[in-house]
Amino acid sequence: MTAVLEMRGIGKAFGTVKALDAVDFDCRAGEVHVICGENGAGKSTLMKVLGGSYRPDTGEVLLDGEPVRFQHPAEARAAGISIVHQELSLLPFRTVAENIFTGMEPTRWGLLDRRQMDERARSLLDRLGSSISTSALVADLSIAEQQLVEIAKAMLVNAKVLVMDEPTAALDDHDAHSLLKLVGRMKTEGVAIIYISHRMPEVMAIADRVTVLKDGRHIWTRDRRDVTINAIVTAMVGRELQDFYPARGATEPGSPVLEISGGQSRYLRDINFSARAGEIVGVAGLEDSGKGALARALFGDSPLAAGEVRISGQPVSLHSPRQAAAAGIGYLPGDRKREGIAPRQSVRDNALLTLQAMAPALSSPNGGARSRQKVDQSLRHMDVRAGDFGQEISTLSGGNQQKAIIARWLMRNPRVFVFVFVEPTRGIDVAAKAAIYQTMRALANEGRAIVMISSDLPEIVGVSDRIVVMHQGRIAGELPAGAEEGAVMQLALGVAAAATGREMAS
Amino acid sequence: MSIDILPAGRARRGFRDVPVPVVVIALAAIIYVTAAVITGQTNQISFAGLTGLLQRTVALGLVGLGQTFAILVGSIDLSVAALISTVAVLASYLMQGDPGMIVPAIAACLALALCVGAINGGLVAYWGINPLIATLSTGLILQGVLSAGFTYLGGRVAPEYQALAYQGLFGVPLPVLLLAVLALVAWFVLAKTRFGAHLYAVGGNPDGAKLAGLRVERFVLAAHIIASLGACVAGLYLAARLQSGTPWIGRDGIYDLESIAIVVIGGTALSGGKGGVIGTIAGVLLFASLDASFNMFGVDAFLKQVLRGAIVIAAVAVYAVRNKGHVA
Amino acid sequence: MTAISDTARATRRLSLRNINFALVIFVVLYAAIVVLQPNYLDAALFMNFLRRAAPLIILASGQLYVILSGGFDLSMGAVVTLVVLAASMLIGGDPEMTWVVIASLYAMGLAVGLANGFIVSFLKVPSIIATLGTMLLVNGLALAWSGGAPRGDLPDNFRNLGRLVLKDVPLVGSLPIAVLILVVVTLLAWWGLHATAYGKRLLAVGDNPRAAELAGVPVKPTRISAFVISALSAVTAGILIGGFSGVSVNAGRGLELQAIAACVIGGALLLGGRGTVVGALFGALSLFALFTLLNLLGLPQALRDSLQGVILIAAVGASVLRHRRST
Repeated sequence: MTAVLEMRGIGKAFGTVKALDAVDFDCRAGEVHVICGENGAGKSTLMKVLGGSYRPDTGEVLLDGEPVRFQHPAEARAAGISIVHQELSLLPFRTVAENIFTGMEPTRWGLLDRRQMDERARSLLDRLGSSISTSALVADLSIAEQQLVEIAKAMLVNAKVLVMDEPTAALDDHDAHSLLKLVGRMKTEGVAIIYISHRMPEVMAIADRVTVLKDGRHIWTRDRRDVTINAIVTAMVGRELQDFYPARGATEPGSPVLEISGGQSRYLRDINFSARAGEIVGVAGLEDSGKGALARALFGDSPLAAGEVRISGQPVSLHSPRQAAAAGIGYLPGDRKREGIAPRQSVRDNALLTLQAMAPALSSPNGGARSRQKVDQSLRHMDVRAGDFGQEISTLSGGNQQKAIIARWLMRNPRVFVFVFVEPTRGIDVAAKAAIYQTMRALANEGRAIVMISSDLPEIVGVSDRIVVMHQGRIAGELPAGAEEGAVMQLALGVAAAATGREMAS
Repeated sequence: MSIDILPAGRARRGFRDVPVPVVVIALAAIIYVTAAVITGQTNQISFAGLTGLLQRTVALGLVGLGQTFAILVGSIDLSVAALISTVAVLASYLMQGDPGMIVPAIAACLALALCVGAINGGLVAYWGINPLIATLSTGLILQGVLSAGFTYLGGRVAPEYQALAYQGLFGVPLPVLLLAVLALVAWFVLAKTRFGAHLYAVGGNPDGAKLAGLRVERFVLAAHIIASLGACVAGLYLAARLQSGTPWIGRDGIYDLESIAIVVIGGTALSGGKGGVIGTIAGVLLFASLDASFNMFGVDAFLKQVLRGAIVIAAVAVYAVRNKGHVA
Repeated sequence: MTAISDTARATRRLSLRNINFALVIFVVLYAAIVVLQPNYLDAALFMNFLRRAAPLIILASGQLYVILSGGFDLSMGAVVTLVVLAASMLIGGDPEMTWVVIASLYAMGLAVGLANGFIVSFLKVPSIIATLGTMLLVNGLALAWSGGAPRGDLPDNFRNLGRLVLKDVPLVGSLPIAVLILVVVTLLAWWGLHATAYGKRLLAVGDNPRAAELAGVPVKPTRISAFVISALSAVTAGILIGGFSGVSVNAGRGLELQAIAACVIGGALLLGGRGTVVGALFGALSLFALFTLLNLLGLPQALRDSLQGVILIAAVGASVLRHRRST
């Protein structure tokens, strides 16, 4: 089998930083070639070179054996390279059909041919097994549906090479599974598929070959048959990772710190939930199961309409994030860029933000130099890697930003009793993931209750002391530590609690 | 079941789905008819009354059409007021009452607008300067040169040209017809052509548009040129209507901010990628009916301004208040 | 220990880099003024220069708060007009009334600022539209109240705030009251923004309101107070302007744009998150030096606008280029 795409000795530097250093890569028709690497390993840069967003400093790209040099994404697209982007590139206020055809609108007599757009969009979506209406506005779709539109958009051009950059990052396990099936189908159609993912089970399930990048260099490319998850992770991190998931708490959990009884809202029903001191409670469920709504209710962002919440036995009212913060809940949002960081402020100010928010308005911003030392200490304790804590936080990697936000709540120590982590490791590389799990465990061991809302099943199973599974706005069931992934999935799909599911449907 | 459980992220159906232009036009009609009935001037509710109503806001409508394009691509044009003045002065200065100079004067004004639009677009799209600052600055530069160079009234337009502003076709004043035709063209371009679709793409998600292979900068440039051309036509119209241009007609009409206001009232998002000219025309109608109603009631000029301010805020708030996100 | 002083130095370098453009422009323009009129180096003339620049600087410091919160305040100029007209009509030439009237002027400013803040925060109207609305509204009210032609006089004790110069002051020689007010206001603005938790919240709100909210920041009160501060600074500037320019229906015309321009020249980022009071101060001084220079050169007043435009493009364009190079 010959390679459709070959990249030889690709090098790209930004200033003095070498993002790519003589990387070789190829992909054949009808294969899935997975690229693994930590954040900053050069995966995205390599794909941006391929997609025409960046021009390489050295090396060449060959398509069907012919050298090509793309000056603009338009040229790469015309040459048959399609990219499903990690950050959604859709237009929220345009229809599905208009989105799929962005930049490639068919015309008739010089006018938009809307009928052709609708028909072709329909057939693409049918091929993807989706029943989304082509005239629906993208803003009205769920994240998973938007992801499908994104894929349909990439499939519009008869792609020779299809690049998928973490396509399942925003999907729950159910939707991710259907996506993987789709990838398998496209493979049989002879498309060369390049797949980037942090989810190891997924990699093992779909890859034909695996390439590992580290620090902008090509480490190795191997057949799937010849690799193990351990080998990939070791190559990515450059050392062997022991105890990826931290050991569970040695002591029994203490008394309940957080209790919700009879919680109801537009998205939630009959929520009876508790988290005890020293315990990590994992909350699992599908995309629209209400697990996100539970997190937002806990943080007063979309408050409960009825029911009672107690913290350490005291009833509290959680009608705004500020009240929640005052009540002793710490919140780590899943979408760091939109909800976590103030990008142009310094690392230090980001870590101090909650202290500043809760302090009297006219008090000194960091309580004098002593608190500055304290915040630096706290940041160092969290192992935030930055040249200077005075630099803008947007210059840090995702993992370091996440750690800085954890430090933000630690600064309020000891007045934070409950931590709510939403998708704590989404888009974070393997080594930083392990560090964040360890932090969560350490926080629990200090006597706090941790609520972890996650779509990543291995993470739910590996980290939680107790697993709460949600389905259609209700708690579908509860599983002990170390439960099988399959059992969690069954509850999440409503299979195990069929009676509840039936009632909801009526 | 008492509580309906909706999947997160789905919009609720209802009032929000009524298109903004429909609401705005209905509001305009209610205001106008109520004013006419209360003041007993029911003869205003007639074809002639309506065209007269429109004629008073033709200039604002023309600028608004152009402004719609700038806002749709996520930019904005604050230089329109200065450009209107410049064009009006330039047209009357070049014509000096000579009918033979009508065409050259119009051509010169269009060329000027093209340049201003290209400079605005260049500063915004290629140099990456914030559009508010870039267009505010070009507006200031134009205004400064204009008022330094033309402190006296620099000539007058040809009488034949002036007549255009007052003539009619089938009982419809020509300026109103001009606005209608240009609005139709603008609607057609936005709704029916690839160029229009690309403008929406660029405004809705510039990064996504670029990845989809669009040359984003060119569309921003084009939108700025269209915005300037809209202001140019408005300036030409005002010159015809007032016989001669003065260096202050654009600024005194607050055309920069009012054109933005009508575009936003019509449902076009300031962040770009959503809206269209139908909304802008609805916004013009609302302003026109307000003006007419104030006149019927005999509201004093200053109070008129007060009410106008309150109504701009109220009209935008009606829709914006349901917004869940933060607005700055 | 060394690590801390290192980072402190780095931060200082950073803030210097942020203001140097406005500072450089100001020094260059003032040097040009001195070349034309060497006596501008005299303390007395410099004080006089500062006195005339004071309203713009005060406006810029207030506007800065709103810009940092991510918005605009276009109603400032209208508030200045309102203040000047209202003062003349309320006082009616009676010096006894001055202090009562000044208090009521601040109450009016408070009302406008609160209105702006509530419209933006609760009605979710973008501030550029909301403050445009209040601009029309306040301007209309001021004119309707005065009937379009200002009546009444400002008594000397009111006008002195803008024009009186204290002689034989130790160290500086002469000291206009306006400059004294300017120093107090600037220090207050600096303190509020750079030395309080409130200032940090404001920056976070302008930078990413959603993240700020989830970190516990009271976003709405923070934003509303920025509009109030802006309106109160407009009242202060209006009182000074009434003092040395007298009563006019055009007293505040265009000042809101000059204030925004001053902030931007001083390195403030439109739509929030970055900017300093020192930058705004030098931005305003640069603008005013430019106006003075044009006067001295005998160029038409109208060209002011043009040069202001050129400087704005240059200031923002340079920072865009600098940013592009560093990334």
